[in-house]
Amino acid sequence: MYCDKVIELLKELERSREDTIPPYNNDGINHVLSEMKTLDAEIIDLLRTQKDNLPLDAIRLRRAAIERNKRCLLTYIWTRIQRLKEMRWEIGAILPSDVRQNLSQSEIEWFNNYCKTLVSYMKTIGPDTGLNLTQDTKPPKSLYTEVRSLVDAGKLELESGEVLILRKNSQYMLSRSQAEPLIRQGVLEQVRQ
Amino acid sequence: MFVDDLVKGFYDVVSSNKILILVNYDVDAICAAKIFQYILRFDNVIYVLVPVKTTTELKKVYKEQKADVKHIVLINCGGSLDIIDILEPEEDIIFFVIDSHRPTDICNVYSSSQIRILATPENDEKIPKFDDIFIDEESSEEEDSNSDDLNEDSGNDAIEKRQNKRRILQQNAFIKRKERRNWEEKRKKLLFDYTQFSYYGRSTAILMYDLAWKLHRESVDVLWWGIIGVTEQFIFGKTENMLYLKEVELIGDHIGRICESAVNHNELNSLSQTVPSNDSSNLRIESGKDLLLALYRHWTIESSLRYSMFTSVSLKLWTVKGEKRLKQILAEMGLPLSESRQMYRSMDLNLRKQFFEMMEKISNTHNLLNLTYPSFILHQGFKTRYQSADYVYSMIATLESNIHGKSSAECFYNTMDSLSRSKKNLLDEGIERAKWILTNMFRHIQAALDMRQVILAGPFYYLIVQEGTLNSQHYSDPQLLIMLASFALRAQVASSHKNRNTHLPLIASAVLDSDQDTCIIVGIPPITESLPRSFFGKAFEQVANKTNIDVSLDYFDSSIAKMQIKDRPKFFDALTALLS
Repeated sequence: MYCDKVIELLKELERSREDTIPPYNNDGINHVLSEMKTLDAEIIDLLRTQKDNLPLDAIRLRRAAIERNKRCLLTYIWTRIQRLKEMRWEIGAILPSDVRQNLSQSEIEWFNNYCKTLVSYMKTIGPDTGLNLTQDTKPPKSLYTEVRSLVDAGKLELESGEVLILRKNSQYMLSRSQAEPLIRQGVLEQVRQ
Repeated sequence: MFVDDLVKGFYDVVSSNKILILVNYDVDAICAAKIFQYILRFDNVIYVLVPVKTTTELKKVYKEQKADVKHIVLINCGGSLDIIDILEPEEDIIFFVIDSHRPTDICNVYSSSQIRILATPENDEKIPKFDDIFIDEESSEEEDSNSDDLNEDSGNDAIEKRQNKRRILQQNAFIKRKERRNWEEKRKKLLFDYTQFSYYGRSTAILMYDLAWKLHRESVDVLWWGIIGVTEQFIFGKTENMLYLKEVELIGDHIGRICESAVNHNELNSLSQTVPSNDSSNLRIESGKDLLLALYRHWTIESSLRYSMFTSVSLKLWTVKGEKRLKQILAEMGLPLSESRQMYRSMDLNLRKQFFEMMEKISNTHNLLNLTYPSFILHQGFKTRYQSADYVYSMIATLESNIHGKSSAECFYNTMDSLSRSKKNLLDEGIERAKWILTNMFRHIQAALDMRQVILAGPFYYLIVQEGTLNSQHYSDPQLLIMLASFALRAQVASSHKNRNTHLPLIASAVLDSDQDTCIIVGIPPITESLPRSFFGKAFEQVANKTNIDVSLDYFDSSIAKMQIKDRPKFFDALTALLS
């Protein structure tokens, strides 16, 4: 059957979790490309041998198969790039090594270019230092947030110069920018309303 | 020093800087803290909130957190303690005390600026006058030194003159000393009268709501939290009926104002038959009479009737006769047994609609007067309704830490979270646990009465929760022990035939920590007392002074004491001697 290989490729992509990128299937893509080449060769062959009564249906079928392969390959690449883009916004410019291993050479190139473009755009926003767009992808409801301390972490100096003492089982109101790294470290826990 | 203007005298001062908030472990305090947090969120005020259970913890937390803090807010703690004496704060630290425990310590009342009490002094509080309590010691010393100077000056004069003068001075000194002694006696008496009874003032949560209202930051949620604080005081008999009714009236006005828009919205909806609006606008509070049955909306009618304190005491449900009476009531109401054993929400709709009226009708004939009381119900969309008392029971159960082996701070935060509407599951878990606690409490009372464990010891009853009885470890929580004690006292009075013993108070005791051999003791005022005032705080203190028993009155509630188990009999003896 025509187009089996490319469908397999897409299925493989779909089966993987949405926040990961499976290894770039070079073999699979080469298979599809060679299939497309064979189809093309077959069409030319048909045109050449049976000039009088052209088997139009056979040509159309092969033509459609080539188009479908092309569309599916593009989908494969596009989806991978979309996922990569999301990772740039969520993880940042430095990809974890296991993700990096799964990328093809051109994907890595694309990623580096994307990073450059994004950074240079973010630099132009605002008067001097620019704005980190990746920090708050959704506008925060408030600049301050309520957190609970999970461990005895000791002193914390605030931006205003005041000193807070983080003790287990106390609740605090902190500025979001200051609380976020501590929440990621597991020192604090956010209190949802 | 009392602060009258909550906004100018309290909020404007506090909101400029970092705040340390210390909250006691009780429902009222948690509601108040929740409202306060809600208010502070508008201004992005940085705060630190720490729950405290005892005076020792208060000291410890203060020591840890005092760095850089200028304003400290104490919620339901510290008002009846001499804060300056206990914490020894720097001079520029200001304490704001919002405490429903009364009487307020006299040193706090007359502190010039460091301690500010957020309450209006009530007329019946009878705070002694400043001159009667404090004497300007410096000025009197000055006078003394003046007279010494005079003495020296007169050294050159004739001896007779000198002797005369000395005699006059001596006389003066004598009179002065006598005056002083009189004054001291009077002071002692005044102080004793003032601190003799401990009781509760206005709910802290509703006071906090007042602040929110004055700042125009009220919402349905905030009002509801305030209502829970008031309800808690009513259910656990911390307030007089009259005061509760007054409070209910005030809250009724607030509901009219806040829920007005929501109600209009609903009417519009029903008129135009549009799709129901989203649940936030459907949130509303309704006031109305409700039954004094615990959690009946989330339980079966039979269980609720049996395990609620009010009905089980009036019907004496722990006896065989009582059981029959319960069946009779159900029969008279025309409620089939199978329905009464069904969860309320899955009961027949008609029966459910009539239930309230049926109960009201029956209450007259069965010694169930005062079965109804004005209360509030929270409606949210089409989900189950919650009565304010449901919240109180659920919170009490969540706050109790011994059941599920969590730390008490964790329970504190769970309780606080169960107030948010987004965490309904915590509330429902609490309700389930509350049912369990109520059931156990009823069984405990039944067993205690059968075994005659409520013992009459002259001027009071006492009940000792024996270690090792089923689920006895819950009663190491003071709040639950108080619930048990008041249940036991009412049950005992109802089941004893003699009338003369109805005016006696009750003391309950339970093991606190079996490893350290400590126990807690709570005192409950007699039920005939219309004012819920307890004299046990003072009595415990006096017993501790007279005997050499190591009694620690560490809790903010003065009628709760902690001691070694081996000292308990001696303590009871001394208390009997003191009270008789």
